[in-house]
Amino acid sequence: MRLKQTLEMALENLKRRRFRTSLTTLGVVIGITAIIALSSIGEGFRLAVKTNMEQGFELDVLTVIPGSIIGGYSYQKFTDQNVTSIRSIQNVTTVTPIMQITGASLKNGDKKSAALVVAAVNFTDFWRIFRNRLAFQEGGLPSSPKNDTIIIGHKVNTVNQTGTFAEVGDQVNVTFTVRSVPPFTKTLTFNVTGILAESGSSILTSFDYWVFIPLTTGRDIYQTEESDVIFAQVNNPEISDKVTDAIEALFPPFRITIIVPITFIRQVDHILNLIQIFLTSIAAISLLVAGIGIMNIMTVSVMERTREIGIMKAIGAKERTIMTMFLAETILIGLAGGLIGVPTGYGVAQILTMILSRFMLNQGGNNGVLSNPERQPSTTVNPVFSLEWTVGALVFGILICVIFGWYPARKAAKLDPVQALRYE
Amino acid sequence: MKFILEVKGVKKAYRMGNVSVPALRGVSFSVEEGEFVAILGPSGSGKSTLLHVIGGLDRPDEGTVFIDGEDIFTLSSNQLADVRLHKIGFVFQFFNLLPRLSALKNVELPLTLADVNEKETTEKAKKLLALVGLGERMHHRPSELSGGEQQRVAIARALINDPKIILADEPTGNLDTKTGWEIVELMKNLNAKKEQTFIIVTHDPSIAEEADRIIYVKDGIVEGIKERVNKK
Repeated sequence: MRLKQTLEMALENLKRRRFRTSLTTLGVVIGITAIIALSSIGEGFRLAVKTNMEQGFELDVLTVIPGSIIGGYSYQKFTDQNVTSIRSIQNVTTVTPIMQITGASLKNGDKKSAALVVAAVNFTDFWRIFRNRLAFQEGGLPSSPKNDTIIIGHKVNTVNQTGTFAEVGDQVNVTFTVRSVPPFTKTLTFNVTGILAESGSSILTSFDYWVFIPLTTGRDIYQTEESDVIFAQVNNPEISDKVTDAIEALFPPFRITIIVPITFIRQVDHILNLIQIFLTSIAAISLLVAGIGIMNIMTVSVMERTREIGIMKAIGAKERTIMTMFLAETILIGLAGGLIGVPTGYGVAQILTMILSRFMLNQGGNNGVLSNPERQPSTTVNPVFSLEWTVGALVFGILICVIFGWYPARKAAKLDPVQALRYE
Repeated sequence: MKFILEVKGVKKAYRMGNVSVPALRGVSFSVEEGEFVAILGPSGSGKSTLLHVIGGLDRPDEGTVFIDGEDIFTLSSNQLADVRLHKIGFVFQFFNLLPRLSALKNVELPLTLADVNEKETTEKAKKLLALVGLGERMHHRPSELSGGEQQRVAIARALINDPKIILADEPTGNLDTKTGWEIVELMKNLNAKKEQTFIIVTHDPSIAEEADRIIYVKDGIVEGIKERVNKK
């Protein structure tokens, strides 16, 4: 029998039992809806987390520190020769060393403030690397920085909750403690050229609590040619590993730590992937249940139509033809279930994420992975439409229908025609 | 004349629990092309089983059946289905039409199974429905047709693949006498016109009298064969 006729007959048979067909199809619809909804929300969730994490990192910036972050702080410093060597590595675009000076206090007339870190940096290179994070609220980067230029972080400039510490053009005094033997303090006057806007926290630190002075000035104060940290920007975060290896090769073994942001993202992505697979598997179980429903219904249907099958066989229908007829019915159910289930799934995903994001906003956006402690929640979960998932769900739905329709269809095909004709 | 059908030593028993009930106990006879043969016997004589075996619906325990010179029980079940599709047409006591299909679609079914193109199929089915006198009612479903009309549809369906043999199992058994005779007349006319072989199973001697030859079956064996004198 030709495909067209087979499908026509199958459709006719399904229409004949409208209510039963609808219920059976509903099972498949629910299964497909669940798979699509969970996978698209899962994907959206993953993207949201990723976006948030990416906001916390400069993905393309490798941070090179001596020793290790915890427990292994080393007094070893980096030389300018180290910087030059790193700069010559392939795929490294910008390299800049900084000095981290702690324990400095700031004074502007009667107003006092303190900085977590006074960073002595090369303004041009440093801002090239962190230009997205270090936006100015007031003032800007001096075109030719002088020795007494200072740029103040947002929180450093906030005193008594709402007041400001300084404005652009102010002269501020910074007192440094030099830990020599014996230790002494040194106070210098700086000219404020910029106040930073709130930057949002990086995973490593928050620049809001920093102030920035020229590298040369820092080195003058401490009489050194060395630096504490080197930032190296790569032209593509995906090749961070290669660059990391190259940088490590420049130093004796186990002397430095390189913080590679892409590895954090990869880890998190891996975990989210597992969660998504887990959720989708649960959804797939509901489709399996629908498959059992199909098997049940088709078995009943074969019994009811025993006599018809006998007639078909008597007039010359082959086993294959009977089998195809019944499988065509289950495939149509699967197809209908898929075609209804996929858009329903995306619809449900939209509604669920709307409810979900409202729920998260009500929580103040201040806890959980999705919130950003320094900013209002900037990320909402948007369900992701994926062609792969759509096609995958459709195919899986039809596959389930074929698998569970196989047994009843085969049973029908194998019926003994004489007995089938006698069946009342 | 060549034999279109040869039945050779066919035995068939049914198992009822532990008991084996013989339905056919060695039946042999032959039918020539274009003959109109009646198989006459009381109920339980095994005549329906015989018809099922001849039609390749049931396999015999012993013996075999040749149709058009071919031993049909050496064939696979798929090939046997093809024999039923192309060489045999069935007419049943209870009409056995597919209830959800129109008369036309029922008649078309064998050609549809044989992958004949749609246009040709429909044309041929319409022609045959006109031939059996149902040209006007071809879009009705079986439930909207009388018993006689349903049997005409069944006959048209049996004819559509131009089979060598039409097998009819009590074709009048479920019809009133007048309608029954009309059906018999129709079959006789078709037999005369199209030179197709008709084998009718019946328990009604008066209908059997219309045949060229009567094969008496009783208790699973052929009791006798009666040739009509004025055979055409």
